[in-house]
Amino acid sequence: MKQSTVLARRITKHFGATTALDDVDFDVMPGEIHALVGENGAGKSTLIRILGGVHGPDRGEIYVGGQACRFSSPREAIAAGIATIPQELRLVPALSVAENMALGDFLVWRRFGLAVGLDRARMRQEARETLQVLDFAPNPDCPVRQLTFGERQLVAIGKALRRRCRVLILDEPTAALDSHEIKRLFGVLGRMKEQGVAIIYISHRLDEIVSLADRCTILRDGHVVAVSRRGEFDVAALVQAMTGRIAHDIQAETPSPGDTLLEEPQSPEDGMRLRAGEVVGLAGLLGSGKDLILRRLFGVESEPARVLIKGVPKRLSNPSHAVAAGIGMVSGERDLGLILNQSVRDNILLASLDRLGSLKGFDRSAADRIVNTLVELLDIRPRQAELKVSALSGGNQQKVILAKWLAREVDILLLDDPTQGVDVAAKTQIHVLVRDFAKRGGGVLLGSSDLSELAHLCDTVVALRRGRACARMERTDSLSEQMLLRAIGG
Amino acid sequence: MNLKHAARRLHLRGLTPLLTLFVLCAFTALATDRFLSPLNLTNILVQSSIMAVIALGMTFVIIGGGFDLSVGSTVALSGCIAALVMVKAGLPLGVVAGIGAGALIGLINGLVIALLGVNAFITTLGTMVLIRGVVFLMTAGAPVGDEGLPSAFVAFGSRRFLGIHYLVWVPAVLLALLSWVMHNTPHGRRIYAVGGGRDAAYLSGIPVQRVIASTYVWCGTLAGIAGVMLAARLQSGQPTAGEFYELTAIAAVVLGGAALHGGEGTLYKSVIGVFIMVVLGNSLNLLNVDSYWQRVAIGAVIIAAAAADRLRWRR
Repeated sequence: MKQSTVLARRITKHFGATTALDDVDFDVMPGEIHALVGENGAGKSTLIRILGGVHGPDRGEIYVGGQACRFSSPREAIAAGIATIPQELRLVPALSVAENMALGDFLVWRRFGLAVGLDRARMRQEARETLQVLDFAPNPDCPVRQLTFGERQLVAIGKALRRRCRVLILDEPTAALDSHEIKRLFGVLGRMKEQGVAIIYISHRLDEIVSLADRCTILRDGHVVAVSRRGEFDVAALVQAMTGRIAHDIQAETPSPGDTLLEEPQSPEDGMRLRAGEVVGLAGLLGSGKDLILRRLFGVESEPARVLIKGVPKRLSNPSHAVAAGIGMVSGERDLGLILNQSVRDNILLASLDRLGSLKGFDRSAADRIVNTLVELLDIRPRQAELKVSALSGGNQQKVILAKWLAREVDILLLDDPTQGVDVAAKTQIHVLVRDFAKRGGGVLLGSSDLSELAHLCDTVVALRRGRACARMERTDSLSEQMLLRAIGG
Repeated sequence: MNLKHAARRLHLRGLTPLLTLFVLCAFTALATDRFLSPLNLTNILVQSSIMAVIALGMTFVIIGGGFDLSVGSTVALSGCIAALVMVKAGLPLGVVAGIGAGALIGLINGLVIALLGVNAFITTLGTMVLIRGVVFLMTAGAPVGDEGLPSAFVAFGSRRFLGIHYLVWVPAVLLALLSWVMHNTPHGRRIYAVGGGRDAAYLSGIPVQRVIASTYVWCGTLAGIAGVMLAARLQSGQPTAGEFYELTAIAAVVLGGAALHGGEGTLYKSVIGVFIMVVLGNSLNLLNVDSYWQRVAIGAVIIAAAAADRLRWRR
């Protein structure tokens, strides 16, 4: 029998009063892709942080290549051959590709036993050779800042390879990639597999896991609820195991849009038009400009948006204008929507401060009423409005951002990948809330890289290529993922 | 590890600054016999009063995520302007001119930092040096107004009301008023929001630049009030007044538990921080510690406060 590259036995980890991991067993074989799935807060991140040396376990053992290990820092884990590629890549933007790959282990010229300078030629050579294995040939002197996210990720993987990693941990590697880049990444992972590298793969995109993983461990509330081999699991089974619930689709009602809420009269072809009761989707690959459209309408881009809001011309040159015009925006990057060191309550009231108070002070009872209603309505857990928002899971944080705009009673919601990195159950709840918002006469503009989300949720989807609308599809045309994929050129 | 846990639990209750002050007072009271004398306690109160007003303003800036080094020079400028104007145009105009000068400097700092996006450290370092130069030019380096100050003004600097110095009433009233502003008005909540997450606040429609600029106006205005108070106490405008006040104020705010990265802090705890700094100086004096060594000790306390700040916010 082959030996596991990494074997973690009976790992337990507490953070204060919460048990993040309880008696968890996990292992990965050489040349195996082992997926780790679970809702937010299930313990995935804690487990990979323990394997990566960020946290020490309270109890349990870790064996690397059969040897018991105790890591007290990430450095020791890396030395043992465990490399983690986090969502936020740890690269230095101003340094070149070659320098980043050598970082922490610089190659130097030695004279009389003293390091006298960087051996740039060898650094370049090594960078080129390592990245060649990944089928990626950038200029090694190019600053990392100039690369796309997908390319940077390859540099980070190359850096791990150069350190002769035996285990590669990938945390949501495809969250910010377009479909070409995902295909390339999967190719790279296949080649690393052939070389005998053990790969631990975390993703919320369950279809990826079904097609990629050799084995899949499902965590729920810090416990392992199932371990299954390839072919034994499909998306529906994963969802059920993760949540203990059965996945169900949202049935959108037939659209009966009302008055026009927002339109851009100056550019009739590419301009957005949004009516009350409508969810309009924006589909497009990375770089198609769907995020730019949303940012422009929220007044964040340097070019102010000139729009008609309910027929009244407005110039939106900063978010204050947009909010005053009844527009709210939810971004997939949650730290852009939340003040993390403040309470759920303060965050919900953030956009409504001017409404609730004057120089005479706050209307506290009105504020309490709003907060309590929204926490209940949006099912924000735990039900403690005084809790710091940083203590909430990703899905609940996203609901707090939505609550912020509902408190403000906006008419128009701009959503930019609102369910990115959110677990399945919270995702469904957010979808219901979005539909509900539209039903009550709001208008929603939803940009998403998740095509099934667009197909399920939207009345109309606009497909974008290079900032231009290239197709417009209605729900009545029976929207489907395949149709959207063709339209955006994926 | 256990110590750290214990410290964190204590901080959760928010009592660390108060406990520090208590331990310091208890130690000094035991080690010397003069600490608890009414004269010494009154001295501590009066010495703390002016620094407390400055620290209140500094707390606004630090909660908003900024920093202000110019308050010491502002104290000197406001004191000298108040004294000069008072001699010529009477008490009310003098007070208004002194405080107004502080507000104006705060506005300049705020506009440069918030609108032009210049680093707060560099901007206020610049205004600190610049204002000190202006004060020396204005006064030719000599004290001003020491002859003809209105008697009511001099009385304000030394007399008591209900047994307590007028100078001590000022921060007490300001603390009550400003705490209310900080916690019960949209303006106060916006300052916390901007300091806690500038981008998120901006994307929630909060006018971030205006809020940041306003914190410097608060700080300058309060430094102006402190300058007028100091002039009353010294019975003149002193061009060299207020040197190193900025450092004491920042140290006091950090000792009071505010985070240097913004978004956290409480006004009354900053005032406790001021008491810690003043009692420490007082204690070293009573213990006859050499004044050069006092500087060493106070410098060490400032570093320790900043290190504790790092430890506290580290995850």
